[in-house]
Amino acid sequence: MRAVHALGIHDLDKVYGDGTRALQGLSLAVPDGGFHGLLGPNGSGKSTLIGIITGLVRGPVGHVRVFGHDAVADPRRARTLVGLAPQEVHLDRFLTAREVLSFHGRYFGMSTADANARADELLAAFDLEGKSGTRPNRLSGGMRRRLLIARALVHRPRLAILDEPTAGVDLELRQDLWKYLSRLREEQRTSILLTTHYLEEAEALCDRISMIRDGRIVAEGTVPELIAQFGGPRLEDAYLRVMRAEPTEAPR
Amino acid sequence: MRGTVPGEGQSQPGDSPSAGTVPDGRMGDAALRAASRRGTLALSGREVRRVTKLWSQTILPPVITAVLFMAVFGGALGGELRQVSGIQYLWFILPGLLITTVTGQAFANASTSLYQARNEGYIDDVLSSPLRSAEVVISYMVGGLYRGWIAAGLVLVAALPFVEGVENWFLALLVMVLTGIIFSALGVITGIWADSFDQQAFIAALIITPLSLLGGVFYNVEDLAEPWRTLSMFNPIYYLVDAERAGITGLHESAVWLSIAVAAVVAVLVTLWAIRMFRTGRRLRP
Repeated sequence: MRAVHALGIHDLDKVYGDGTRALQGLSLAVPDGGFHGLLGPNGSGKSTLIGIITGLVRGPVGHVRVFGHDAVADPRRARTLVGLAPQEVHLDRFLTAREVLSFHGRYFGMSTADANARADELLAAFDLEGKSGTRPNRLSGGMRRRLLIARALVHRPRLAILDEPTAGVDLELRQDLWKYLSRLREEQRTSILLTTHYLEEAEALCDRISMIRDGRIVAEGTVPELIAQFGGPRLEDAYLRVMRAEPTEAPR
Repeated sequence: MRGTVPGEGQSQPGDSPSAGTVPDGRMGDAALRAASRRGTLALSGREVRRVTKLWSQTILPPVITAVLFMAVFGGALGGELRQVSGIQYLWFILPGLLITTVTGQAFANASTSLYQARNEGYIDDVLSSPLRSAEVVISYMVGGLYRGWIAAGLVLVAALPFVEGVENWFLALLVMVLTGIIFSALGVITGIWADSFDQQAFIAALIITPLSLLGGVFYNVEDLAEPWRTLSMFNPIYYLVDAERAGITGLHESAVWLSIAVAAVVAVLVTLWAIRMFRTGRRLRP
């Protein structure tokens, strides 16, 4: 029997209304329980890819499957399985921190009691208990980032997509988040797709890494595989070689 | 952060003894339906909560405005304008004030709340949820209906001691229901369409408010000189005001049940239009 991937993407294309071709025949697979890194420069297509998986970008051509569910043709089932922490921190300013979590859970179909209990659990897990009645616009940047990640996990997704979750946060919080995400994967077997510009973060957390450039996956493998294939003692060296290669040289 | 990962081994959203999930934890059809109901109730509740939390901006101003209209036209000028078409002037203008309140508030709430969610980006939380387009649109309409009806209800309560009462409660409420549906759906359409607060305010200030006030709120359209009388016949809000007047006072100029039938058809069409706009995703998703 063929194993169902947490995320299976095949030959995905996306052209925006202004003619920008954001994705070009992109294919990617994240195994169930995998921790997959997606590295690439700004504008390489990472956020477009995440938007397509989560229903925030419309009209792609190609196949996106989340645990076997077609995320384009049958998006509702796929969405129940995905938790998204977007790159930009957009939180409902009319709700308190606890309500942000609780309402999110309820939008995803949780009962009020379950969503409230889950909100309390996550507020405690992310050290936000004391801010449960505070509105997001009165929280510090780091707290808002933590709340955003907590929100992605309220409905117990089987695939968590974290788009630069540690951008702009201090070192201590970043390391706390690393530990939390590792445990999330180990203890709950949550599959994780992580985008980041911190290569040491990808190196520390991810089983496999895909490098994206101009809307295509141009390299993929474990950290040792990527270093062996592209050279350099560190992932950073391999990354720079892949990104600086002429487009025709970039391996598929 | 604390050292525990909460929620291990717990159920997924939508799980319930009756609905359940398939063995690998994915939702069955019944669970998905239950999840949809809960999600719709949650988003509707969020919209109602927003109106209630912001009551000094959402409820109080339209009530004060309508009460001031009643005080000025029904009280201060009451000696000059004692009766219109054989009924007390305050009673005559009350239906129009109720319709004006519902149109303005239902429209403003749905358009502003949706536009704010788009503009500030937090609509992504809803767009990435399993809620259907129709469920999201209806939830935003619920906020508009709540604001319009609560404000109009308070105006009615304030006016009732000073007028002769309500002739036909069923008709009066039916017209308010249809008016609320039409204008909250138009608010959703505007909230999706608008690219700026200015565009959204433009529709409210230069289309909705003038049409409301020129819809025979303060005068009998049949008493107007031409071409104003004929022009007024092309104002759709005139028929809603006239039907509401039939419900409140028993007095009307047009065919009330024809107006109700047309309003019901329009309510369905604009709601479907709003759902279609949301479903296509233009202006919501790149």
